[in-house]
Amino acid sequence: MDEKTNETVNYYGKHPDAVIGNREQKPSPSHRAAAARELYFEARSSASMEFPYWYTRRWDELEGEIPVIRRAEALKAGFSHLTPTIYPGELLAMGKAAYLRGSYPMPWLSEAFFMAAEDKFYQEALESGKLTADTFTTMGTGGGNVTQSVGKVISIAGKFGLRVEEMPVMIEVAKRWKDKSVDDVGHKYEQMVPGYKEKEAIMRSVICMFDSGYTLPQGREVINFYYPLQYGIEGIRQICDKSIAEVAGKPGMDRLYFFQAVRIMLEGLQAWIRNYAEEASLLAGLEKDPAQKEEYEEMSERLHWISSNRPRNFHDALQLIWTIHVAVLNEDAISGLSPGRVGQVLFPYWNRDIKAGILDRDKSIELLECMRMKFTEIDCFASMGVVGGVLSGNTFNNLCLGGLTKEGNSAANELEMLILEAGIRCDTPQPTLTMLYDEKLPEEFLLKGVECTKIGTGYPAWVSNQVAMEFLLKNYGHEGMTLEEARAWSIGGCLETSPGSWMPLELDGEIHWIPGGSAPATSVGVHFISLPKILEVVLFDGMDMRTGERIFQPHGYTLSSYEELWKAFQQYFSEAVNVLTLTNNIQHDAWRKISPSLVNSMLKPDCLTSGRDIGQMGSRYNTTFNVETTGTANLVNSLASLKLNVYDEKHYSLNEYREAILANFGYKTAKETGSFSLLDQIPNEHYDTWKKIHKRSADAPKYGNDNPYVDRIFHEWERWFCDMTHDYRSLYDQPLYACQISVSTHGPMGAVTLASADGRLAGTTFSDASMSAYPGTDKNGPYALFNSATCWDHSDSQNSQLNLKVHPTAVKGREGSRKFLELIRAYLRKGGFHVQFNVVDSRMLKEAQKNPDQYRGLMVRVAGFTQYWVELGKQIQDEVIARTEYEEI
Amino acid sequence: MTTMDHTCNDCKFYLPLDVFQGICKISKEKILPDDPFCKEASRLPKCKFCLHYTEERDFLGKCKEILLAYPDMPASKCSDFEWAQQN
Repeated sequence: MDEKTNETVNYYGKHPDAVIGNREQKPSPSHRAAAARELYFEARSSASMEFPYWYTRRWDELEGEIPVIRRAEALKAGFSHLTPTIYPGELLAMGKAAYLRGSYPMPWLSEAFFMAAEDKFYQEALESGKLTADTFTTMGTGGGNVTQSVGKVISIAGKFGLRVEEMPVMIEVAKRWKDKSVDDVGHKYEQMVPGYKEKEAIMRSVICMFDSGYTLPQGREVINFYYPLQYGIEGIRQICDKSIAEVAGKPGMDRLYFFQAVRIMLEGLQAWIRNYAEEASLLAGLEKDPAQKEEYEEMSERLHWISSNRPRNFHDALQLIWTIHVAVLNEDAISGLSPGRVGQVLFPYWNRDIKAGILDRDKSIELLECMRMKFTEIDCFASMGVVGGVLSGNTFNNLCLGGLTKEGNSAANELEMLILEAGIRCDTPQPTLTMLYDEKLPEEFLLKGVECTKIGTGYPAWVSNQVAMEFLLKNYGHEGMTLEEARAWSIGGCLETSPGSWMPLELDGEIHWIPGGSAPATSVGVHFISLPKILEVVLFDGMDMRTGERIFQPHGYTLSSYEELWKAFQQYFSEAVNVLTLTNNIQHDAWRKISPSLVNSMLKPDCLTSGRDIGQMGSRYNTTFNVETTGTANLVNSLASLKLNVYDEKHYSLNEYREAILANFGYKTAKETGSFSLLDQIPNEHYDTWKKIHKRSADAPKYGNDNPYVDRIFHEWERWFCDMTHDYRSLYDQPLYACQISVSTHGPMGAVTLASADGRLAGTTFSDASMSAYPGTDKNGPYALFNSATCWDHSDSQNSQLNLKVHPTAVKGREGSRKFLELIRAYLRKGGFHVQFNVVDSRMLKEAQKNPDQYRGLMVRVAGFTQYWVELGKQIQDEVIARTEYEEI
Repeated sequence: MTTMDHTCNDCKFYLPLDVFQGICKISKEKILPDDPFCKEASRLPKCKFCLHYTEERDFLGKCKEILLAYPDMPASKCSDFEWAQQN
């Protein structure tokens, strides 16, 4: 109990001081970046219909055309008609749409979710379970979200504002895609999968969070900037022209259409960039301030240049890669398109400019801060269940630092140090940063990373380069992955280990091997499975007791032993993975047929050499589908509690547990209390009946304390899960793999799950991530948690995820930084894959919950991403507050 | 329709920040999209100002009598745009 506030705080170490601790001071951003950030804070998420209108209009005009050509022409129409908007003081131009935080619906993917509730489409979608997650997601009500319709603005999905004059055309355009969208076509054919009705029941119960096959068909991958940097846009068109001449009329004719489609799409990109160049010129004509006028003129010239040519300098290169990044984002509903190892990709240009005196350190940092603002402005238009419930409004542009070169040496460089400095000064959610920790990295570089982590933004996260490389060799070895190539990896999205390749960038006659992504989305598949919910349904023999609906057929076990309980769990989990894998494959197949990737395909090795887009496995690596899970600690803790209390020590029967769960252990539900945190739950009038069983459940051994009783269960779960995913085949006929990140799903999935046998109460948020302990249960300190977390081989999974919350005083000063680095090293050296931190006093978060307007700039780390506090839903806010806070390390 | 009916979001000097507000490219001030035209304003090509646009119902119409269109669609990049009335 906190003496000042009388509120409960989970902590380890010394008792919190009376005064709420602040994070360490940091330098401020440049005036330019500070002004951009103020403008960003004023802006709301806004949708427009420009792109989807022109896309649909052109698509309709070309009925009967080869599908990929039709797609290219539609993209070209969308890009070339976008209204360019350049904001005061920008050094980097281009954006997704004509608003600062602009985006647009893509009804060719799915038109259902943004239709009016009373519209027939919405009712049909709700019936099939697609939108159920929406009703259990609480979108952040502050910040840039347009949570309610007001005046001439309509709120879409509780986040996006749309001008009322665009609503009729949005509905009309959406109706044109009825039965033709990826969602609708996929839905038609996924019903042919045996057991499809079970899939619908699984979705309605929120055992599975969403259909990733069409909602976010791209992203969670690393982009590749090599081709535009090496050839320029006009150079890539020439590659297409040459390839067209080589393949026209020959077997493998799809290659002809692919190259022609890329060529057409590039015409659209060039028109789009030149429109921005003209706008910059217009602004220069209006501008009275000579310095600003000159900046607009230079911007115009730069944009004209890069619309065709290779970059001449660092600023050109940064503008080009930013432009290409946005271009990919505009071709699909994408979250998690990571820019990759930008500091290593752009280092040749930067280093040359520094040596020539064209650039200095301060100007470099200013440009990098501008880059941070541009990435932060990215928005992703998708349904509330996806945007709020999964993503918390985040777009997951992960910029990675460190790792190794092609030859196996440290890849850290001075530009990366400046990227960290810009991340310190201009703290924004994007791009998030990740340190690819390796023993070869210099101490100064690592301490710079620690300095950045300490300011409390939650970045950089820290991941093990060696564990990732081992995973890549295991997973992609059969596709030709080598040790050298494995070094080119980076993180896609929040934490998806993604394969890369080394590409030979030529500059001034010298070859620089730069890393970039060489696979499509590495996180398409089964997203996400709620582990505690599966266990709950096991206990009730296939029934979801919250809704009264049967999800699975009776499992046939009496559950008279722990082994039977475990087998029943495996059975239901496998059934869910099976039907979801098959239906997702169909959805993703519909996507690749109707809405193939062209911009991203152009970039990924080896599409331009093979003549196949990424959906046709044109990229170098294609073993990229996964199974994601949520609620690991609650599952493991619940199994441990049942094993101990029912089977080993026989304090209670399983029936008594069922009754206790249905009675919520004598507490009001989270919905009744209005808090999703276990800390705030309130007993009801039946509390005395259940308090003993609840106490035994809460006191049962918990994961995260280096306790072999529960860690054995955890180990068994991990070994089985990582192995069983390989039994399922993706659309590309490759095995699936395990992925263990919660993003924000632990909020809405907890909301629909009854109390669990570990003492967790109904509706409260699950444990975050996958290696994190359930809040307040890790009582033996971080090193005990590390021991628990590393009892299995992390390289068997695409990732593992661990969040720690550290009080600012625990890592203060230079000594604090060194202790912090040793803590990180200790975990990664033990075999842990990932760790990330909130450095914050929990009581500040409580204050921020009560007075959000005073904390507009406060950011926290959720699970793989940093987000503004005011834009997080309450489920996630409550969960972050409840996490154990380490007062000493 | 006269310029008295036009609003800031009909002007080529309007820079939209979001659906609620924008910035005047000339004065650099924050303005609202539904504020009336000022003396500096100049019409932005939009479907509702185009010779080929016909209105059918609120916020929806046709382009060249065939294609779906809507009045507030920016049309400065549309190759078919022709002013229905000069400025």
